Amino acid sequence: MFGRVLGTVRSVFSRGKMESDLDEELRFHLEREIEKNVRRGMSPENARTEALRLFGGLEKTKDEVREADRAVLLETVLQDIRYGARSLRKNPGYAAAAVLTLALGIGANTAIFSVVHGVLLQSLPYGGGDRLVRLRVDAPGAGIQDGRFAAPEINDIRALSRTVEGVVEYHSMFFVLLGGTEPQRVQTGVVSANYFDTLGVAPIVGRTFLPGEDKKGAEAVLVLSHPYWMRAFGGDPSVVGRVFTMNDRPHTVIGVLPPIPGYPEDNDVYMPVSACPFRSDPEMETNRQMGMMQAFGRLKPGVRFDAAKSDLASVAARMVHDHPSDYPESVHLTLLPVSLREELTRQARPTFLLLFGTVGLVLLLACANVANLSLARLVRREREMALRSALGAGRGRLTRQLLTESLLISLTGGLVGVGLAAAGRGLLVHFAKRFTPRAPEIAVDVPVLVFSLAVSIAVGVILGLLPALSSKRSLSASLTDGRDASGATPARLRVRNLLIASQVAISFVLLVGAGLMLRTLWKLSHVDTGFRTEHVLTARLSLNFTRYSKKEERLAFQDELLARMAHEPGVQSIALAGTFPLNEGGPANGQYDVEGRRAPSREQKPRADFQRVSAAYFTTIGVPVLRGRVLADTDRVEAPIVAVINDQMARHVWPGEDPIGKRIEIETDPGKMSPVEIVGIVGNVRQYAIADAPVDQVFLSIRQFPGLGTCLIRTDGDPKRLARVLRATVHTIGPEQPIDRIRTLDEVRAGALDTPRLTATLLLLFASLALTITATGIAGVIGFTVGQRRQEFGIRMALGARPSSVLAMVLGQGMRQVLIGLAIGIAVALAVSRLWASLLYEVSPTDPPTFLAVALILGAVAAIACLVPARRATAVDPMIALRSA
Amino acid sequence: MPDASNRSERSDLLQGTLDVLILKTLAAQAMHGWGIAQRIQQLSDDVLAVNQGSLYPALHRLEEKGWIAAEWGSSENNRRARYYTLTRAGRRQLADETESWERFAAAVGRVLAAT
Repeated sequence: MFGRVLGTVRSVFSRGKMESDLDEELRFHLEREIEKNVRRGMSPENARTEALRLFGGLEKTKDEVREADRAVLLETVLQDIRYGARSLRKNPGYAAAAVLTLALGIGANTAIFSVVHGVLLQSLPYGGGDRLVRLRVDAPGAGIQDGRFAAPEINDIRALSRTVEGVVEYHSMFFVLLGGTEPQRVQTGVVSANYFDTLGVAPIVGRTFLPGEDKKGAEAVLVLSHPYWMRAFGGDPSVVGRVFTMNDRPHTVIGVLPPIPGYPEDNDVYMPVSACPFRSDPEMETNRQMGMMQAFGRLKPGVRFDAAKSDLASVAARMVHDHPSDYPESVHLTLLPVSLREELTRQARPTFLLLFGTVGLVLLLACANVANLSLARLVRREREMALRSALGAGRGRLTRQLLTESLLISLTGGLVGVGLAAAGRGLLVHFAKRFTPRAPEIAVDVPVLVFSLAVSIAVGVILGLLPALSSKRSLSASLTDGRDASGATPARLRVRNLLIASQVAISFVLLVGAGLMLRTLWKLSHVDTGFRTEHVLTARLSLNFTRYSKKEERLAFQDELLARMAHEPGVQSIALAGTFPLNEGGPANGQYDVEGRRAPSREQKPRADFQRVSAAYFTTIGVPVLRGRVLADTDRVEAPIVAVINDQMARHVWPGEDPIGKRIEIETDPGKMSPVEIVGIVGNVRQYAIADAPVDQVFLSIRQFPGLGTCLIRTDGDPKRLARVLRATVHTIGPEQPIDRIRTLDEVRAGALDTPRLTATLLLLFASLALTITATGIAGVIGFTVGQRRQEFGIRMALGARPSSVLAMVLGQGMRQVLIGLAIGIAVALAVSRLWASLLYEVSPTDPPTFLAVALILGAVAAIACLVPARRATAVDPMIALRSA
Repeated sequence: MPDASNRSERSDLLQGTLDVLILKTLAAQAMHGWGIAQRIQQLSDDVLAVNQGSLYPALHRLEEKGWIAAEWGSSENNRRARYYTLTRAGRRQLADETESWERFAAAVGRVLAAT
């Protein structure tokens, strides 16, 4: 088979062979000419000169021959195109079906490749490129995974590392920006002055930070992110130079960034470290326990990743050696470089590669279908081919003609497909955003177009060469053969059966993938999260800390808001909290001691998720109180500290005991441990992700630890109706207080499932496409076979066969291939199941119900696809069929 | 597509003439390029000398049209040579061209005789 492929390819594209042939042929001619001259009595030298003179130069002749070849080639190519276009126009049904099928296949591949290219393949949109690293610190002994750096630690790395240069720090906080139309909560990246130099990002308006602008006493300046500039200032360049108030001091806008990934966070503005009121605390410069920063750097030129790894390990060792009290041996301090590229795409990789594999299979299916169509068409055209062959068209020439036609189809399909992909870009970016900050880089650009062109050409060449490969007989033989013995050559039939079986197998794999994702989605949406989402309004409400820097001020704001809102019509209950389940944001991990069993060292203390909530929190989001009481308004700052814990923690920490009345100790101020009494136990909730099992939780009173994050309201009817009132009330109490992200809890919960839902939707879309393509493919092949065997059916029925037995025969032959395909599909799906295991939730990748359901659906669709054309077999009128024989 | 391919060389008499001479030469037996040139020269009593610079492009053109076929064989003195043979389509083309050449020659003759 492989030899034949090579031979066929060579007959079409054999430039090199032709060149050496021509050379040898011309040399032969020249030698004969010399011999002739010698025979006529010339000296060998004269004979040669004379022959060469007559010849007019070997190379010149070669050129002339090549020129003639090129002219002929160009002419035949143009001819082939004209002829191919005409032949396709005469058969618009075939052309449309083939173009559409390939357009869907190539379009899907172009679209997903644009995602894979934009996110996974192309270099980072930073000048620093792929040498950028994030520095990671771990202290497993202290339970710190991927922790934050303190300022002196970053200075150590700057001073000690021999492999990483341009080390910069970063952290992000929200501040309130005043001076616009209304107070705005802006997410602010707080960075070293050379942060953008290390990343290699140049501003599109104004400038970024200058050296020294992060030093103490520097004027406060701001750089705007591109999305924020567009959103808040409509892309107006004159914003540079404007002065806004943040943290009670003037901040001047100095520049605007280009669109870069919203990484590490989607920041609205950036400021140098000196402008951040927290970071500029002098204590920060020396205290190694005040870790809040991330650190980035660039590998020095020529430095390998491994070298950086061992270099950072020795930096860590040096830090441990120099500061034994900060890093006791037992915490195992480690430093690691993490490739920024890896960091930005890690989450996206499995899903995108799965999708890429899926669309690759869809394209295979599409090709199989078009191959089927064109094989069937070729049988009808066999006489035309034979005739042209008899008229002198060589086999290579005919193959080239078929190749031209299939390239016409595949390139047209590719063009339409690229159009489809370009039209779907917005949806894809929206989808990819959930996985990677690089999503906006997705575009149908030159590399993607080259990919599509290459795929289209490959598809066209394969489809064009397939007919030549599938029949061993020379095309001209079919003319002498007389009647249509050609349609059912065993080789062709085998190819077609193989196509059906493989289409079914591929569809099975794709449907199983989609089925498993759907099961996952169903499981996730039926998880009991432990709270009730209906009729609850949520709002982000983070207090401007410069305005409310004292506990009493925050408490006063909280109390006033609760008092004012409680009596608004429609409000059933209102609660304030740091955050709420499934809200964005990471775990609020904290350590504690159980009274009476104090842990011997800091790193051995138990951990729990600490939340601050107001009295009505549990009622508002519908978390049941299992025992004891909830927090009350009487739990004030000056009263003894109390806490409510969840059931999970009660069983985990006090198995078989009643935790109520027990005490734990927590660090309420640096170095100060305070006793906390457990007063109640509430039900478990899924706090951070629907798929994550509940963790130990401690709920403290927001009146004892004032500080707002969110406001939650349970309402009588539509929660959104209260949004306006809530906003107005907040602005009455604090005119400079931002309030945003007003959503219902239903929306929050639905949003938490967006990622699996979108993945499942895409997989289902592609799998349905595959199923449709396969069904039409099967129907086409069976229909064609029935057409070929009309006479046979006529004879059978004339001899007494009942229509039902003819039907059963056709159906049986078709379904045989389907069953073979199913068997292969099951085997393949079992083999590759681990590929999607990481995307599933509480569904086994070899989930028997899914496999069974998919097999049944696919079998049923295939049976219908066989049945429709098979019925035509029974409709054959024996007499007509026999007469037309 | 013989329909489209005849158009170009009808306008070029000389090229077309060499083509028909080659076809005629090959009608008797398979030959290599040098042999074809010698044969035409010989049959035309040295009136028609075939220039190599036009012979080989013509051979390639005819082969591409499917009128002649080529394969490697060994020559009289046992050297590898590329032999050309006339195909069925080539034979039919030769008949057509011969007929149209005769008509053309006769017409030219009549015109010249009249003056």
